[in-house]
Amino acid sequence: CGNSDRGGEPLDDLSAQAIFERGERQIASGNPDDAAFTFGEIERLYPYSEFAQRALIMQAFAYHRDEDYPNSRASAQRYLDFYPAEDDAAYAAYLLALSYYDQIDEVGRDQGLTFQALQSLRRVIEQYPDSEYADTSVLKFDLAFDHLAAKEMEIGRFYLKRGNYVAAVNRFRTVVEDFQTTSHTPEALHRLVESYLSLGLVEEAQTAGAILGYNYQSSEWYESSFALLTGQGLSADAAGDNWLSSIYRQVLLGEWL
Amino acid sequence: QNFAFSSFNIEGNQRVADGTILTFGGLQPGAGLSTAELNTAGQNIRESGLFESVDLVPQGSTLLIRVVEYPTINRINIEGNSRLRDAQLLTLVQSQSRRVFTPEQAEADTAAITQAYAEQGRINATVTPRIIPLSDNRVDLVFEVVESAITEIERITFVGNRTFSEGRLRRVLETKEAGIFRALVGRDTFSSQRVAQDREVLTDFYRSRGFIDFVIQNVDVSLTRERDAYLVTYNVREGQRYSIADVTVTSEINGVNAAEFEEAVRLRSGSTYSPVSVDNDITRIERLAVQRGIRFVQAEAQISRNPRDLSLNVNYVLVPGERVFIERIDIEGNGTTLDRVIRNQFRSVEGDPLNPREVQESARRIRALGFFQGVNVDTRAGTSANQRIIDVDVEEGPTGTLSFGANFNTDTGASLLASYSQSNFQGRGQGLDFSFSTAESNRSVGFSFTEPQLLGRDLRGSINLSYSTTDNENALYDTETLRISPAMSFPVSELGRLSLFYALEYNDLFDVSSSASEVISQEAELGGIWTNSLGYTYSFDNRRTGLNPDVGLVFRFGQEFGFGDTQFIKTTALAGAETDVLNEEVTLRATWEGGLLSYQKGNSRVTDRFFLGSRLMRGFEAGGIGPRDADTDDALGGDAFSVVRLEAEFPLGLPSEYGISGGAFIDYGSVWDVGETFGEDVVSNDFIGRSVAGLSIFWTTPIGPLRFNFTEPLDVQDVDETRNFDVTISTSF
Amino acid sequence: CTELDRFHGFIPPEEELATLNVGSTTKAEVITLFGPPKSERGLQNNTVYYASSQFRRFGPFAPEEVDRQVLAIDFDANDRLRNISRYTLEDGRVVVLDRRVTEDGINDITFLSQLLGSFGRIDAGQFLGEP
Repeated sequence: CGNSDRGGEPLDDLSAQAIFERGERQIASGNPDDAAFTFGEIERLYPYSEFAQRALIMQAFAYHRDEDYPNSRASAQRYLDFYPAEDDAAYAAYLLALSYYDQIDEVGRDQGLTFQALQSLRRVIEQYPDSEYADTSVLKFDLAFDHLAAKEMEIGRFYLKRGNYVAAVNRFRTVVEDFQTTSHTPEALHRLVESYLSLGLVEEAQTAGAILGYNYQSSEWYESSFALLTGQGLSADAAGDNWLSSIYRQVLLGEWL
Repeated sequence: QNFAFSSFNIEGNQRVADGTILTFGGLQPGAGLSTAELNTAGQNIRESGLFESVDLVPQGSTLLIRVVEYPTINRINIEGNSRLRDAQLLTLVQSQSRRVFTPEQAEADTAAITQAYAEQGRINATVTPRIIPLSDNRVDLVFEVVESAITEIERITFVGNRTFSEGRLRRVLETKEAGIFRALVGRDTFSSQRVAQDREVLTDFYRSRGFIDFVIQNVDVSLTRERDAYLVTYNVREGQRYSIADVTVTSEINGVNAAEFEEAVRLRSGSTYSPVSVDNDITRIERLAVQRGIRFVQAEAQISRNPRDLSLNVNYVLVPGERVFIERIDIEGNGTTLDRVIRNQFRSVEGDPLNPREVQESARRIRALGFFQGVNVDTRAGTSANQRIIDVDVEEGPTGTLSFGANFNTDTGASLLASYSQSNFQGRGQGLDFSFSTAESNRSVGFSFTEPQLLGRDLRGSINLSYSTTDNENALYDTETLRISPAMSFPVSELGRLSLFYALEYNDLFDVSSSASEVISQEAELGGIWTNSLGYTYSFDNRRTGLNPDVGLVFRFGQEFGFGDTQFIKTTALAGAETDVLNEEVTLRATWEGGLLSYQKGNSRVTDRFFLGSRLMRGFEAGGIGPRDADTDDALGGDAFSVVRLEAEFPLGLPSEYGISGGAFIDYGSVWDVGETFGEDVVSNDFIGRSVAGLSIFWTTPIGPLRFNFTEPLDVQDVDETRNFDVTISTSF
Repeated sequence: CTELDRFHGFIPPEEELATLNVGSTTKAEVITLFGPPKSERGLQNNTVYYASSQFRRFGPFAPEEVDRQVLAIDFDANDRLRNISRYTLEDGRVVVLDRRVTEDGINDITFLSQLLGSFGRIDAGQFLGEP
């Protein structure tokens, strides 16, 4: 990789400091990928200068700014391997977690990233508890955890809609038992009421309704559970559910419930 | 004796910071340390892999830690390699630039490169790592490679083969002897996995011909002294050839009577024994049990011999299978595709009994979606002994094409054309295509949308709209057509699907050139015609079960009933059979395709009638066959056509990585009956069979499977316009 | 057209159910005998459920549940069998599902980015002008 093609004179004969400043200028002027390359060069040319350490964390930051998450992860990991005790280590671990977190996608899609985001966020919280990144990591951890619960709910609703009530019950129970701190628990309890009623297990439905009423009295889910349990549930056509409106809703809007 | 150090003195470290070394060793100032703890601290620092040597020297209340760091790698490259490219070899090297250089890693990399060459048969290649020291304790790492010629297999011999000759057995094996094409053919190099594969191939070959006791005693591979040639010898014991005596089905599960399952058995007494046909029977029996809702049924084949007449009795026993359930289905890697689109491909649901065959078929259905580069589905242990978790890992692939084009020519001026098609729109598995072109000679707009899971069921709904008008002086006539057609298709049986559609069509034929046939100008008098039509197509394909049957059968039959300005019935049909012979090397395929257009009110026009394109019958120009105006020689198309195609596809012996194979075909058929002739003299207006033979080359290219056809007309009419070369996309049915 | 049947879940057969006796068989024995239940324990009482259902589908119409057996096996405080009750399709109630969904903060791929994303598939049809 030719040094000169990245603009300006070749880096080889520049001092580590000069290269570092160029990298900072490149980030400021808004091309983070060149900056990442420049910081990489410091590490290669002057591996023992104290700039090398700062360059490594700046490289991770530059790749992250460029949304090049795999490289940002690699640089952050290298920093943690060489300088686990240095003060920027917390930031490196945080950048590593962000590289997964920022890729988390809409509920219906790939959840592999959410697991990795949770693990790396937990590492930041546990290994660097008093760093300034700990509390933002806790916040992001809860959001990612909520996202995981949303995924369980999505699959539960899929089976509920197709009439596989037993599979739906198992998914909604996972949310109620393992994700009770998330915002999905009230809906999960209501879905349990719907599923148990469909199976004819009225007693179980009443139990789920009771737990929902006790803990989430004011939520709109409790209202519709209450309606179902006391038998005034809406009939199908009153809810505007003929086949034409469901085609419009499902095919065009994507709300397939 | 233990120490308490108040301070540490670290020498020799340049890149690794003091704090880091202390954290590796777990050393804090003032902490009490026994000699054992001191040693483990030293050991931990060494295990960090960053140091050549580490020694701890206690000096009273300070601890001296003397380290020598491994150098950092500046650059890695490989010299002297030509057969294997740098990129290929660098992936094998674990050492990375900017990371620490360790001698053990360099040794491991050298071994990896040597192994890569050995797999190519270049067992005499040598690789030596070399270090070039640079300033600041940095090094460049270079792997010097000296390549060698390929050591090929000169001779493959067999000992103990009585029924089949050495030549026949050699044709069965994957590995080939080095012949005159030795430079070109890759399969004559020695590779241990290929020999292992050959053992299986040879065993299958014998077993599927009734030799139930066949066994390979050993495979002896010897190398000539100069290490330039291999000699491979297979010592085999054939045993006797057995045929099938009687085939029975019994059940050990109460409530399940075996008689029901006899229809699923295809093995006939008298045929030669073959493990593949027994496996197929077991699959069919277990599939029938699933269809009947009987859970946890396993079929096993009990084979008993009667040595006197060398025959076997096969008894299929239905035994209660182990009760294993699906705990969860986890789907990962679907960056764009929604989870439900993939989950819909599973017929079993979480909590259901686990049926391994059904899991494989679901994997096949997910691959058939065509959205993914890679799909792998496997099961892993669940929380309890009889619960399994199904893991689905997909890798998204490109699913859309977008093309723009603009051209300008002097007489028709500038024109734009664009087409967009996406087969996985919004990740919902919906298909969306639209295209338009404003070329002077052909203005067209096309739009189509498909929803594979309409109303959440296996009901494929689609709507197609196309409008095109031509305005082309040198063409015989110009047309304007508009067609709007919603359709839906759904399964009607395990192997059959029915599609129903409605179509509104407007069709106009105008400014017919003066030199054109009188028939066409008469037809143009009728002007624009509106028709509504309803239609259905029933399609049957026995390959849908995923159980690869010996003969693949496909059958399609469709009718369109048109009413409005004209009333017509358009019937099209296709019947095809395909089978693999000569141990799956050669594919034989026979297809019949026909169509009939019958008008109750009004008559057909040139835009409605059939023309035999090269997809239906090869060897003719477009419109080169069929009813023709006697004096203007214009092709008029026919109301009926019928074609038979007999084809064979076979490998050309080239290494499979080239993706080239050969084929031969014979087409016989005709298109006839122009309908209303307006008193004109029309030649070849009735059924006259034309036949064409030819050879073709198949080439699977990154843009799709192509087929180059070279045709020779056998028996054609003199008015026909033949063609002896064309390129088409190769399709099976 | 023929009907297409689909079977889900699992119910232990009658003769195996007959071997249980009230008051003595423990929950662990039931689970080892019949395999893992559909859901471990009821929300509040000590019950283990097994369920099986059959869907029948005819032509373009939605698959319809034609048979459902739900088996509820209750156990007393120290996990001894107390009672087996059976529910079928008729006990089920038709429930209109609530169409609302709990929103979560993470945004969806925007329409445009998906429209233009994932390109690069070239197929030979374009070059040869095949229909």
